[in-house]
Amino acid sequence: MKEVNKEVLVTSANKLMFDMSDEEYNNLLAEFDVIISQMNLIGDIEGVDEAIPMTFPFDVTNTYLREDVATPPMDRNEALRNAKDVVDGQIRLPRVVK
Amino acid sequence: MELEAIIGLEIHVEMKTKSKMFSSGPVSFGDDPNTNVNIVDMAFPGTLPTVNKQAVINAIRVSHALNMKICDLVTFERKNYFYSDLPKGYQITQQFHPIGSDGYLTIKTSSGEKKIGIERLHMEEDTCKQLHSWDFSLLDYNRAGIPLIEIVSRPEMRSGEEAAKYVEKIRSIVTFLDVSDGKMEEGSLRCDVNISLREKGSNKFGTKVEIKNLNSLANIQKAIDFEISRQSIILEFGGQIEQETRRFDEGSKETVLMRVKNDAVDYKYFTDPNIAPIQLSKEFILDAIRTSPELAESKLLRYRELDLNEYDSSLLISDKDVSVYFDEGLKSGCSAKLLANWVIGDVQSYLNKEGISIKEFPVCSLELGKLISLVEKGDVSNKQARDVFAEMIKTHKDASTLIKEMGLSQVSDENALIGIIKEVIDVNPQSVVDYKAGKDRAIGFIVGQVMKKTQGKANPALANKLILEEISRR
Repeated sequence: MKEVNKEVLVTSANKLMFDMSDEEYNNLLAEFDVIISQMNLIGDIEGVDEAIPMTFPFDVTNTYLREDVATPPMDRNEALRNAKDVVDGQIRLPRVVK
Repeated sequence: MELEAIIGLEIHVEMKTKSKMFSSGPVSFGDDPNTNVNIVDMAFPGTLPTVNKQAVINAIRVSHALNMKICDLVTFERKNYFYSDLPKGYQITQQFHPIGSDGYLTIKTSSGEKKIGIERLHMEEDTCKQLHSWDFSLLDYNRAGIPLIEIVSRPEMRSGEEAAKYVEKIRSIVTFLDVSDGKMEEGSLRCDVNISLREKGSNKFGTKVEIKNLNSLANIQKAIDFEISRQSIILEFGGQIEQETRRFDEGSKETVLMRVKNDAVDYKYFTDPNIAPIQLSKEFILDAIRTSPELAESKLLRYRELDLNEYDSSLLISDKDVSVYFDEGLKSGCSAKLLANWVIGDVQSYLNKEGISIKEFPVCSLELGKLISLVEKGDVSNKQARDVFAEMIKTHKDASTLIKEMGLSQVSDENALIGIIKEVIDVNPQSVVDYKAGKDRAIGFIVGQVMKKTQGKANPALANKLILEEISRR
């Protein structure tokens, strides 16, 4: 597994277009140390590499498909209530393409 | 160095379902921004996706039309990426087990027929519409969650013409199956092209360039032809093709650079744990196929069986709505050939003149069929039918009512006609003498006189027959 060091965290954060303070990076690194040591514990279990990754707790299938019936939409003000900046009913963001 | 182009297409088709792919939020176009969203589309915490049954049926129908293997276990994955076009932070798609795989379709080009392999067809959700200004972006989530099918071809096309024909065929399939309106200019059918060049006969692929969002068949062909020429020049002069994304500029008819692709994006796909695998029964799949609307190819064969020629049949199926109009008209029992002539001729020229679609045409096809039946029976002449047709467009009245109102009913009553014919012959005995002396044209004079007396309403075929009978009796 790739070593998670400060450089990796900075690169990842910058790819996601944000940055953090040194203190925040150090806190995150400390959290990663705990997570990685716990993962290493799991990794030590015999035969773990042969286990198939599991998405669902039980190996069951469903047959339900929703009928194609539209229901009334949300009120627009309610839908946009959490948006910080709304213009003409649209959410405004800093330009998201280069 | 002789080069050949290797072209593969990815087509996104927006389905015209009533509700979204994973929510019951309404699908509607042209409404005010953010008015067709619900809690699932906006990714409110605790909401769960549910799979749209009609979208699955549509995907099965298109897969079947493309001769694909249909996977009976429906699963979905999350495509994770950091962007504002979906509020969840990921798109739900079918990465690992597409519903359709390993199919093909056959295209007809100027150099003959060609089979194009299709790698996969999968269902996913559309993203929101983003409007980019110079320093900000505006988001409208109405489109977020609309069901899409993505169709990925194998890289088996070699020219702009082949690619345009391939897209045309896909568009015909999705529109005839009622899966989508297929309008490229409105974004219901979007096409991305992957194109690379290599030395003819080589097995290696060259560096590929992606051309995004081509909005018409003509532009697909032009963009590819330009790109082939651009890449050829670079390679001929010993240059290297950069792996990049380009777009087609309509003004200059050239592809222009959007961005260089440095490294492939890792979307960290994993199975969406919110959607348990859905097992489709054999009956469900067969029923979706059995109840599928008729495809253009099948209609073409049916029209040929109605004795329509290839050209007329092709014109009728070039637009799904025109073929639906024609099929409805056939229910009147009129001649298929005459109906085809009217639809291709008079109806189409009216549509062209007015700049409207056949769905907006004011005369319903059953009424047009009835008018044609009246022509066939000899109740009105072709010329009169055209006058009636013009009035039908103006007044929206039915053919029979207008024929009465316009006083156009032909005289097909034998007794009434015989009386008039006798009168005409009595006052023109020389014509009988002339006809019997071998002057065939004399009969035309008598027919003309009968028409004059009936103000053009005599059934011409019947009048001709009765005149000959009357002459033979004299």
